[in-house]
Amino acid sequence: MTRRAWTLGEEILTLFRSIGRASLLYDIQDSHSGNMAVKIRGADGADMILITATGSQKGDLDPSQICFLSATETDYGYYKASSETDIHQRILAIPGAGASMHAHTKDLSIATMDDLPKPAQPADFIPIDPLGRKHLGDHVHVDWFAVPSGSPEMAALIPKRLEDHPATVIQGHGTFVRARTLTEAFFLQCVANNAGAVVRTARKLKVDVEALRLEIQADPAAHLAYLPDAFTIDDDACCDFPEETEILREFHKAGARVFESRLSPFQTGSMSVRGVHDILYAPKASMPRDLRSPLRRLPLRPAETDTGELARHKLIYAETDFQTIMHCWLPEAEAHSHFRYPGDEAVSDRIVPVDAEGTFMYLVIPVLPPDVDEESFLKKLHEYKVVVVRGGGVWAVGHQSLSEVLHHPSSVREICLYRIGAFEQGLDLRKMEPKKAKKW
Amino acid sequence: MSAAPFGFFGKIIEIDLTGGDARVLPLDTALVADYLGGRGLATRLFYDAVDPQCDPLGPDNVVVIAASPLIGTTAPTSARGHMVFKSPLTGVIGTSNSGGGWGHTFKSAGYDALVIKGKADSPVWIDIAPGKIEVLPAHHLWGQDIHATNDELTSGFEAGSRPRALCIGPGGENLVLYAVVGNDKNRVYGRCGGGAVWGSKNLKAIRVQGKEKIQIHDKERYQSGYDQALYLLRQAPVTKRLMRELGTAGLVELINVINMLPHRNFQDCTHRPEDLERMSGETIAKTILEKAAGCYLCPIGCQRHTRIDGDDGSTQRGEGPEYETVVLMGPDCGIYDLAAITTANYRCNELGIDTISFGGTVACAMELGERGLLGAEKEGGLDLRFGAAAELEKLAVDTAHRRGAGALLAEGSYRLAERCGRADLSMTVKKLELPAYDPRASFTQALGYMTSPSGACHLRGGYAVSLAFFGGTKEIPRFSLLQSPIAIRNMQNTGILQDSLGVCRFTGYAFGSDPWSRMLTGVTGMDFSVFRLEEIENRVASLERLFNVEAGATAADDALPPRFAETPIVVAGEEKMVSEQAQERMRRDYYSVRGWDSEGRPTRALLEDLAIAPRAGRAS
Ligand code: SF4
Repeated sequence: MTRRAWTLGEEILTLFRSIGRASLLYDIQDSHSGNMAVKIRGADGADMILITATGSQKGDLDPSQICFLSATETDYGYYKASSETDIHQRILAIPGAGASMHAHTKDLSIATMDDLPKPAQPADFIPIDPLGRKHLGDHVHVDWFAVPSGSPEMAALIPKRLEDHPATVIQGHGTFVRARTLTEAFFLQCVANNAGAVVRTARKLKVDVEALRLEIQADPAAHLAYLPDAFTIDDDACCDFPEETEILREFHKAGARVFESRLSPFQTGSMSVRGVHDILYAPKASMPRDLRSPLRRLPLRPAETDTGELARHKLIYAETDFQTIMHCWLPEAEAHSHFRYPGDEAVSDRIVPVDAEGTFMYLVIPVLPPDVDEESFLKKLHEYKVVVVRGGGVWAVGHQSLSEVLHHPSSVREICLYRIGAFEQGLDLRKMEPKKAKKW
Repeated sequence: MSAAPFGFFGKIIEIDLTGGDARVLPLDTALVADYLGGRGLATRLFYDAVDPQCDPLGPDNVVVIAASPLIGTTAPTSARGHMVFKSPLTGVIGTSNSGGGWGHTFKSAGYDALVIKGKADSPVWIDIAPGKIEVLPAHHLWGQDIHATNDELTSGFEAGSRPRALCIGPGGENLVLYAVVGNDKNRVYGRCGGGAVWGSKNLKAIRVQGKEKIQIHDKERYQSGYDQALYLLRQAPVTKRLMRELGTAGLVELINVINMLPHRNFQDCTHRPEDLERMSGETIAKTILEKAAGCYLCPIGCQRHTRIDGDDGSTQRGEGPEYETVVLMGPDCGIYDLAAITTANYRCNELGIDTISFGGTVACAMELGERGLLGAEKEGGLDLRFGAAAELEKLAVDTAHRRGAGALLAEGSYRLAERCGRADLSMTVKKLELPAYDPRASFTQALGYMTSPSGACHLRGGYAVSLAFFGGTKEIPRFSLLQSPIAIRNMQNTGILQDSLGVCRFTGYAFGSDPWSRMLTGVTGMDFSVFRLEEIENRVASLERLFNVEAGATAADDALPPRFAETPIVVAGEEKMVSEQAQERMRRDYYSVRGWDSEGRPTRALLEDLAIAPRAGRAS
């Protein structure tokens, strides 16, 4: 047995703590559930693993609850570490893996339950949302285990599943992910849970999810407006405009709200404020208070290196007078974009508020098809300030501030929640919708 | 020429006062589609009719007043006519509107706009009703104040058919450069000296009467916008409570909280709280307020009907004072005496002079006096000190009549300070006195003053302070050089829209363009989508600029007085000022956002892009 000093750098402790707290806030852990591990190079040049202690509260991690152990052998730290340490150790042995995480992703877990007599092999999970498809792939394995926590069977299968998939689901339990960094691991957990939330919500709205999955598998491009940008791991600390103290504060406030209000999973979505020649741009809008994301100052004119997301911000600014933009991957809106009124053939082209505030604030929220042309997209944004693009997220614009633009996805979430709730209760949405929404 | 749309009558009155001729011209629908109504339409009609180089007080100046398609509907606050002229105070475009009900009654007479040219030989007034446009002698009215003129022209009619009058007082007759045009006694087209232009034309009043109704194209669409607007007005704290309960003076203590309330000719923003409390909206409500009221169709109701009881048992009644008046005739003059401010305010309203410019000019005179810079001017009786509350009322009367010291004050602070060799002590932009918000406490507001088409005006330059304090979700950083140019462009555009709709600026505390777009499209059946409205806003802004450039304005005129770049004030513990470099950067970026060249001139390409046609018979 090797003995190592359990000394933890401030930076890594902060990261564990912040991600632990954020995962509780995002409701993908319960008080003591889940675990996180990272592989680091020790002072002696050998790989070692830092992993949360068994039974530790992820929302309040003490330094003593981060265990140091060898990446290759059982050592002193092993006995305090998570009961799923074996699994993490093997995941971290996968080439390129720098972090792993297990979380109780309830939405995804519920979306992947079945009532088959056990033992049985559950069906793979097929994401129907662009985030899920981009970052998890076109399917995610789901496995049933007789002992679904820390068992040798899990230790054998899960790392295998993660060799060529970033995430895998243990039926009725949660998700394991393999990532390059702990931040990416948390990102993947959030995206995975979000994909489950989209499916669950769509089912509540009686969307034929199985038929939709077949259609998407057959022709993904026809159903997804576009895929999000690739996830980056090395730029979170970057801030190009520290001197703009007031605006910086607005970014941090808005980013925290996007995350905490679940308007977009961790480090997804984007937001920007435009200047005359520059754009101040957060490519990962959803940022918990103590986890930073990159903040860029970029030229407003289009550049060949622009990602698809950034290019859309620039397009909106080029064609309109708006000063702020926000893009969120709001699961309720994504699910609702597939809604058909009972008896209707076609998917609805609008989300009509039925709640008191939504009714007065918004006539309708337009739902645009994935292949919406630029002109129609811009026109609808102009008129309604917020639109849902099926397979493309929620886009909102503001004349003045980030706070103004944040209000829109936040309202859309509430509008969707009221509608979904009413529909679940068997209420007739058409009867509840104000007449004025017919003329929009 | 196409048929008049719903929401309009399709008629413009054109009166040439030189010959006393009146004619009715058709209003082109295309003009409505491109310029909407109110400020937009009036600006276009004005631009087509006037020589930008004209003497503002000569016969070649033109006054245009236009209504909007919403006037005549139930749309909240939609009763304003908008007046455009060349300002004698600034030499650039004068653009102003007023609450009250004149705009609504003018439209009810069956017309959309009024163009007044020329100059009458002797005082006249104009009487307008369906099928009747008469230019009549006004000798009996000349010399009367606004209240008396209004009573004379509007009394003796049956309830329900009472006309309304727009008129000037002695201030306008005596060509005080910031004289106003009043209606409903105390509601005024206040800024830029429209009253002096009327006076120069020997035009005393315009009476209107009528019950013509406009047609609404799609009532359901109109109603959906109307319902939303009303809901939001009843929900926003400023429109549902603050304005009704405390009036605009409710801002006094709030603006002080954000260190923006000017003191002693904008030398600083430091006040003792107990001094301000003596003149706050609450104090007004508790002491001199008789009743709150509203302009026609206004659910907000910021009007203050007040009363001052004199020590001698006399009682005076009137309206106000409003926030700007309280501050500019008060703390900006080192005065914290509500009774003195209120009585001086009554005189300004009756005699027809702008309280903002008057207050700013008196403050400037006080600083000149304290610095010992008044030389020959003292002989005119002008020798003031900050805090001279007892002088205020008399100064207002003397200014309106150009008597004694008043003759100097009637020229505005810039000309006064220039006479004394210290133009830098005039707190003006383009010679128009600053409203009561210190630009050092908000770069956005600073840029608004700099680039306002009519000079330092919070209503035309962008009411940035409304976002600084009451912006709610729209609250923007106050000191961002990056955000200010676009933020102020967007605020100015919102103002252009409101003015072109004939609605009150305060609706903006509750909502933006969306409900208006639906109401307007519902009324007219034309495409007034938000996108189209933005086009109109940008078109009007560039047309106003084009006029100013043709009138001789340059980029050098888009600047704050040196004080704001040289002397800091303390905001939240930090020293703030708007340096020359900051002004230069914001000005340059603002021009760029507007699509103007580096000298602030709209380019030919932009004019084409915005479909701003050249003036008839001229290349642009
Ligand atoms: S808010 Fe005040 S100024 Fe505006 S319309 Fe109403 S009463 Fe008139």
